[in-house]
Amino acid sequence: MKLIDLWCFILLLSLSDSIFSQDTKIRGFIDINTLVENDDLSFQIGEYDLFITSELNDRISFLGETVFRYDLAKDDFEVSVERVIIKYNYFGNHSFLIGKHHTPLNYWNDSYHHGRVFFPTIDRPYLFRKNIIPLHTTGASLQGMNLGRLRFGYDLMVGNGIGSSDLKDNNSHKSITAAVHIRPLDRMRIGASFYHDNITPGAVDHHSPTLKIEEEVKQQLYTTSFAYFGKKLELLTEVTYATNTADSMGAVNSVASYFYAGYRIKEKIVPYFRIDSLNFEDEEFYYTNNDVTTFVTGIRYEINYLAVLKLEYQHESISLLDNINRVKLQIAIGF
Amino acid sequence: MKQIIFHIVLPILIGLLAPTLVSAQDSSLIVIGNEVSVPSEMDLKQFKSVIRGEKLRWNDGKQVIIALMKSNTSVGKETCTRIYNMSPNELNKYFLALVFQGRIKAPTFFTSSNELSTFVAETPGAIGVIDYTDDSTLKIITVDGKTKL
Repeated sequence: MKLIDLWCFILLLSLSDSIFSQDTKIRGFIDINTLVENDDLSFQIGEYDLFITSELNDRISFLGETVFRYDLAKDDFEVSVERVIIKYNYFGNHSFLIGKHHTPLNYWNDSYHHGRVFFPTIDRPYLFRKNIIPLHTTGASLQGMNLGRLRFGYDLMVGNGIGSSDLKDNNSHKSITAAVHIRPLDRMRIGASFYHDNITPGAVDHHSPTLKIEEEVKQQLYTTSFAYFGKKLELLTEVTYATNTADSMGAVNSVASYFYAGYRIKEKIVPYFRIDSLNFEDEEFYYTNNDVTTFVTGIRYEINYLAVLKLEYQHESISLLDNINRVKLQIAIGF
Repeated sequence: MKQIIFHIVLPILIGLLAPTLVSAQDSSLIVIGNEVSVPSEMDLKQFKSVIRGEKLRWNDGKQVIIALMKSNTSVGKETCTRIYNMSPNELNKYFLALVFQGRIKAPTFFTSSNELSTFVAETPGAIGVIDYTDDSTLKIITVDGKTKL
């Protein structure tokens, strides 16, 4: 029902004259997958991503991203508001943003969002699937980009911390995100970021409802990233080093990383591979202590910039589970 | 004999070469800008930074508005390869990704140079790329001292 209401609302918006005077654009992304695992063949509807931008005037703009996806637990589709951002470009390349963001900690999280057509591989790396980083932050930020010869950029954000809702912070501490990057060459970006939050006992993470901690945890995340998408060669790697500290447990450290490489052999064809790694310290008490190593290799066929076909073999070695091997075919489109 | 060469052979040769010369002239690109905010001269680095959407505002604070020919037009294809060093597909993906990241306002794309020229002339802060024209009413931007790219 919620889904129908939202679509009616969007339809009304698109029929409104005023929307055009504000220069509003509506786009969407979707992916359909075919999966072979344990000799079983399945078809999957991926994320149905609705993307709206609007220029209210030459300084104020709006960006909204809403995803419809199937929720196995509810046995129905759910609506997830992923980004709602009002941006005020106050001077040159410097802007003030407020709303719900993808936390600008990592290259992947801050570049591809939910548009699978942009992903170099079929799925996100494990780093973004096991709650290592807070994927969303509702708050306010300052953003700068392409400053000086090295095209320096920054994001400084204050927001509701882990376990908070989009309506209310669950404690008096605010999460702090500081991210910087440079683009010394076209097609290259090098970045580093820092995240700090005090997580309240009993906090329930939006992305991990099973997370229930018994005492306050101070979390610090340090991330570095390197991205190069050249005419032929594609390289993308990120490492997140997480330190969780509690009075009774002391500080424990975990490392999550991935490395992606691809090489364009023809204008539209890119073979690639990606290795993910999650390594938790034995005393880890905040994350699920479940080391993971995955290897994926595949081939990407870019029909055009709005339609991409990927065929991928995925191997996952998870310490608490049996190994997983699967073959996946994805068609991802933008419209 | 010299007179025969001068009056008959030379005009024929010029006549034969003329289409080639005109064609070469046609494939030149020029950068045009609105009278408001857009400087008359830029170096190549500044121009590339502007046309790639890396600069949001001109020095007087006016918003940079980029106008391009659609990448399926011949001028659009030339613009992609010569100015952006990208294929048309790469260029479309490049701008879509930046818009999706909330970094920039999308360029405005046109199917005819006349429409693009009119848009740039009427929109403060607009800059665009079209094929060569000798229309003297346009504000042509000099890039690295050259009017043609």
